[in-house]
Amino acid sequence: MAVAQTMQEKESEDCSLLPLVHDIIKCIDKESQDIHQELNKLRTKIQEAREQISNMPGIDTSPEEQQQQLASLREQVRTKNQLLQKYKSLCMFEVPKAS
Amino acid sequence: MAERATKERLLSVLDDLEVLSRELIEMLALSRSQKLPQAGEDTQILDLLVQRDRELQELMEVGREQGRVQEEMLLLEKEVEKRDSDIQQLQKQLKEAEHILATAVYQAKEKLKSIDKAKKGSISSEELIKYAHRISASNAVCAPLNWLPGDPRRPYPTDMEMRSGLLGHMANLPTNGVNGHLPGDALAAGRLPDVLTPQYPWQSSEVSVGMLPPHHGNDFGLEPPGHNKENEDEVEAMSTDSSSSSSDSD
Repeated sequence: MAVAQTMQEKESEDCSLLPLVHDIIKCIDKESQDIHQELNKLRTKIQEAREQISNMPGIDTSPEEQQQQLASLREQVRTKNQLLQKYKSLCMFEVPKAS
Repeated sequence: MAERATKERLLSVLDDLEVLSRELIEMLALSRSQKLPQAGEDTQILDLLVQRDRELQELMEVGREQGRVQEEMLLLEKEVEKRDSDIQQLQKQLKEAEHILATAVYQAKEKLKSIDKAKKGSISSEELIKYAHRISASNAVCAPLNWLPGDPRRPYPTDMEMRSGLLGHMANLPTNGVNGHLPGDALAAGRLPDVLTPQYPWQSSEVSVGMLPPHHGNDFGLEPPGHNKENEDEVEAMSTDSSSSSSDSD
């Protein structure tokens, strides 16, 4: 549980741009030459975030729509299970094999 | 209005973050290079940046949760596909069963029809055996074992029997004339016992009576000229046999 929470925090930190912006502001304050490198890091980070978002599954719909689809699928499985159970409890058909 | 997709919202927030961070950096760099006092605008941008960053993280969390839901949905979709396949299989089996049952019902109906038909024209076995003995005794179906040319017992069907048969119907032969040329026919007809006259269930009354010439009906009652005692005894013996065998059959 603790491991999962740590991973979640790490993921949240990973997608945050504030640490990089903070580093850039520090470089401006210090008038450091590393500012270009930090700017590149920010640009790369934004690009990576865009790619990550594009590859994330299941976010093409809103959470509400997705919940509706999930409920619909659950209902389908339930109905089909009931139907099969009903047919199976009716009787068995033994089809003679053609010799 | 429908809720926007999470992806769309994430990309929008990311664009905002990019624009805000660029503006903040440019503003800070400009103020540093020109040594201008900060007018508080950068603080507003910074607040907006922090707010958008928090939104981004929240939305990323929502996106991850949606990813987990998506996995569950994929599992459910596979489950639905499996159930569909099971239902189709069952439907196929039901169709086969229906076909087999339909065939069985058709055959059973045909058999019932045959049974009904047989019941309507039922013939008692006793009568059938009696008739068989009678036609055997009259030598209508085969000659006596010791038959020789010149023997008045006929080794062939009578003219009346021929005409009452299917061939007689087809040819529609005239009833007059032929009879006179066959003395043996009258002879044999005379030999037939009177019990042949009654109708049997399997005999068509039209055929047996209708085909009989008007003047020919009395021939049955006449004593034929070639009548001999030996033949009569033989017939009697057969009749006795038939009645005894009929009794046995009971």
